Amino acid sequence: MILRSLQRRIVLVFVGLLALVMALILALVTRSNGSIVAAEIERELSAGTHVFTLLIEQNQRQLETAATVLSADFGFREAIATQDRPTILSVIRNHGLRINAQVMMVISPERILIADTQSDALESRPFPFPELLPDAASAGKSSGFREMRDGRLYQIVLVPISAPKVIAWVAMGFLVDDKWARDLSEMTGLAVSVVRHRGNGVTVFASSLDGAKRTALSGALTQWPDNVTRALPVGDEHFQTIQVPLGHEASVVLQRSIEQAEAPFRSLQTVLWTIVLAGIVIFALGSLMLARRIVRPINQLAMAARRIEAGNYAEPVPSLPPDEIGQLAISFDLMRVMVASRENEILKLAYEDTLTGLPNRTRFLEVFSQLPKDSQGAVAVLNLDRFALINNALGHSIGDRLLNEIGLRFAHFLSGTGLVARLWGDEFAFLLQGVDQAAATEFAETVLRILRDPVTLDGQRFDVGGGIGIALYPRHGQDGATLLRRAELAMYAAKRSHNSVAFAGDAGDEPPHEQLSLIGEMREAMAHNEFLLHYQPKLDLVTRKITGAEALIRWRHPERGLVPPIRFIPFAEQTGFIREITPWVLETVAAHTAQWRKDGLFIVPSINLSARDLLNPGLVGHMRTLIGSHGIPADGLCLEITESALMEDPQLALAHLGELAALGFKLSIDDYGVGQASLAYLKTLPVHELKIDQTFVRSIADSPRNAAIVRSTIVLCHALGLTVVAEGAETTDDLDWLASNECDIAQGFGIARPMPAEELPVWIANYGRTAGTSP
Amino acid sequence: MIRLHAVWLATLLTFSGSALAARIEAYVATPAGSPVADAAVIIEPMPAAPRARRATATIEQRDRELVPYVTIVQTGTAIDFPNRDPFKHHLYSFSKAKSFEIKLYAGKPSQPVVFDKPGEVALGCNIHDWMEAYVLVVDSPHFAKTGSKGLALFANVPPGRYRLRLWHPQQKSELAPRIINVGAAPTRLDLVLDIAPRIVKPKPPVEADHY
Repeated sequence: MILRSLQRRIVLVFVGLLALVMALILALVTRSNGSIVAAEIERELSAGTHVFTLLIEQNQRQLETAATVLSADFGFREAIATQDRPTILSVIRNHGLRINAQVMMVISPERILIADTQSDALESRPFPFPELLPDAASAGKSSGFREMRDGRLYQIVLVPISAPKVIAWVAMGFLVDDKWARDLSEMTGLAVSVVRHRGNGVTVFASSLDGAKRTALSGALTQWPDNVTRALPVGDEHFQTIQVPLGHEASVVLQRSIEQAEAPFRSLQTVLWTIVLAGIVIFALGSLMLARRIVRPINQLAMAARRIEAGNYAEPVPSLPPDEIGQLAISFDLMRVMVASRENEILKLAYEDTLTGLPNRTRFLEVFSQLPKDSQGAVAVLNLDRFALINNALGHSIGDRLLNEIGLRFAHFLSGTGLVARLWGDEFAFLLQGVDQAAATEFAETVLRILRDPVTLDGQRFDVGGGIGIALYPRHGQDGATLLRRAELAMYAAKRSHNSVAFAGDAGDEPPHEQLSLIGEMREAMAHNEFLLHYQPKLDLVTRKITGAEALIRWRHPERGLVPPIRFIPFAEQTGFIREITPWVLETVAAHTAQWRKDGLFIVPSINLSARDLLNPGLVGHMRTLIGSHGIPADGLCLEITESALMEDPQLALAHLGELAALGFKLSIDDYGVGQASLAYLKTLPVHELKIDQTFVRSIADSPRNAAIVRSTIVLCHALGLTVVAEGAETTDDLDWLASNECDIAQGFGIARPMPAEELPVWIANYGRTAGTSP
Repeated sequence: MIRLHAVWLATLLTFSGSALAARIEAYVATPAGSPVADAAVIIEPMPAAPRARRATATIEQRDRELVPYVTIVQTGTAIDFPNRDPFKHHLYSFSKAKSFEIKLYAGKPSQPVVFDKPGEVALGCNIHDWMEAYVLVVDSPHFAKTGSKGLALFANVPPGRYRLRLWHPQQKSELAPRIINVGAAPTRLDLVLDIAPRIVKPKPPVEADHY
């Protein structure tokens, strides 16, 4: 987490490296200090021990010399020679003072104490340290450390008193006390203590250590070995310690305080630590400042980048010092300008219809999505009448100019009060905010009035009409896409019923909740076999024979009765359920066809394929399997495709059509005239047949204009080698007109209503007979 | 400890010889067999001999030594202590038999010192610690000192009963006296005396004598 920030990373690396170097230095110094201190302590202790030994020897020699000199004193000898105890006692007291001996003893040649300054008692007792005598006899002197009756330790020097023969011995005792220890401590630089080991008990006779440590020493020294250098904790301090025996249970303990030896190095270390910490702080601050300098412009650039990311291109990237980052900032600003201009263009392309300059479907939906939640209004969809025919008859440039002119009119009419968009082809959509049904109706009529005003292009006059479907929101839906679809459905309904305007509710589509339940029930319907197929016969107008039949799906709902396909097929297409319906239809039709062919009835049934079916990658394979399994030839089936199904993904649709055609299936374009597909485009498709939408056919008799369109379409199709089927032939007159205008095939109530499959063979048989007899 | 190897021989000679004085040779050795010099061999007549006439002896101070080291005198003998050195000496004795002091003097002291009590007298010089000499005062006219070969000679000892005593400044213990009979024949006495080695105190060379 910390390393996400460049600034922190820089500081961390700098400070980390410094800390590493400092740590190494510290470790090195500490280590060498440690070994220096250890060596120094060792050296001091060894030197001190040496000095101590020398001092003791020297001290002993001095005492011996002093004792020898004293013993040679004539008066002293004379007094001893008197053998008078009071005299002797008094003289040894006096001479003891002369050489600062605390204890003086006179011993007879028979080793009996004659006089003792420690005791005035008259009883004679043996000299307590007879082991000193032989040396004194041979060398004229001897000495040693001995504990006296008072429990204190003395350095005792024994010399003979010669007159000139040895007439007595005199022992002089010099007290080994704390002062003695302190004097030696000062000279040796070591702590000096004199102790007695007896069993496990340690008694301190004298020590240069202060009270507490002196007390602790006796406990610490238990079982301490002689002449071995070792660290010994005494109280709160540690001493490098060596014990040198003085003989007769007495030992001297020489110690060097480790803490004291370390003290100078500790202060050095404190200084070092201070320098290290101060260095790290200074380095941290310095690198922080440096890092800030580096990072601040980068942060500014990052902020600018975020602004651009959020779509705010207005604010320029701040200009920075002309270093590398400054250069980057300049490039970045240039990029901002370029991205802004490109995005403008893209937005234009995305939201604008290139032909008319009006907003497109996407823009329309976006504007709708930005409306306040609880607003109300209407969405209206306008489709021009017969635009495909105009396009085909007069060419695309005329068609385009016509659309452009109409778009201009709408834009001018609305000019800010509403939104008009071109959805596709000849379909326009209007967004009317805050209108109710009446106002929407009024608006629609105004639009149609504007439309009816003839358009003149290159001196040619065009009368344009159209159908308008209106969906109200929030009544018919909440989102733009739903409203557009419902308005479209309403528009188709208006066209079918030859009304100019229709509302979504009037178009026969269900209120939303009812739709939903139907969608849910479709699945069950499939399982319960509630779907069934009706066939509407197709009549060959030349031979007057029934050559085919269009398979039309029906839903026998257990409660609602027969549900017309317009009520559920669009939703099946939307929800994808059509993928389950279509295979069923194909299977059923194939089964019927196979049965009929077996019975000798050779008609070609037509099956409607939706856009989804057509784009299904498994379609071709499925079709091949289907005919294979039922043993019917490919040209025994005809597949009907609407223009709009082709428009969703023309390339894939075309590819599938090509494969189906190659397999031999008959292909038919359904509902021709409703959409905008031109004949020129259809010509490029591998289709065999074209079905003129019933809206044109139904009014042949009444509308000479429609009749003309149908007639020219028939001519053009024949020219392109297509068979023409007219849907919606309702009367005998219609059939006659179609036959006389060389339409190939007709379909409609005028021939027969759709009928159940099992009725079809009988009906055909009957029709053949009647047709044979009547004209 | 004394062993008298020639006791029987001496006794035989005493009884067989005339009233002539006998010659006695005494040999003193350590138990290890080394001859002992400066040992005093005394034979005291029994009963005791009468006080002799006033005798004299001399102990010189020469070359910072008391010479001789051991002097044996009969009780009542006066000893002169002439100083032959070019500097003074301070002679003293703290011994019970004779305690005296001749403070710094040169040449011959005005009066000799009379040793009137039997016993051992240790002599020293107060200003030269190594100077040491012994005077053994005895109640007998018959005494001799062993030489470097451990031999002591008695020329004229009248036959009779004697108490034999042996003494040495460094003797480890005083020996119990023994009774001997002296005849006319010469007698040899083999005597054993355990002594400690004499500790000679260091004597500074004359050149370095800056006392």
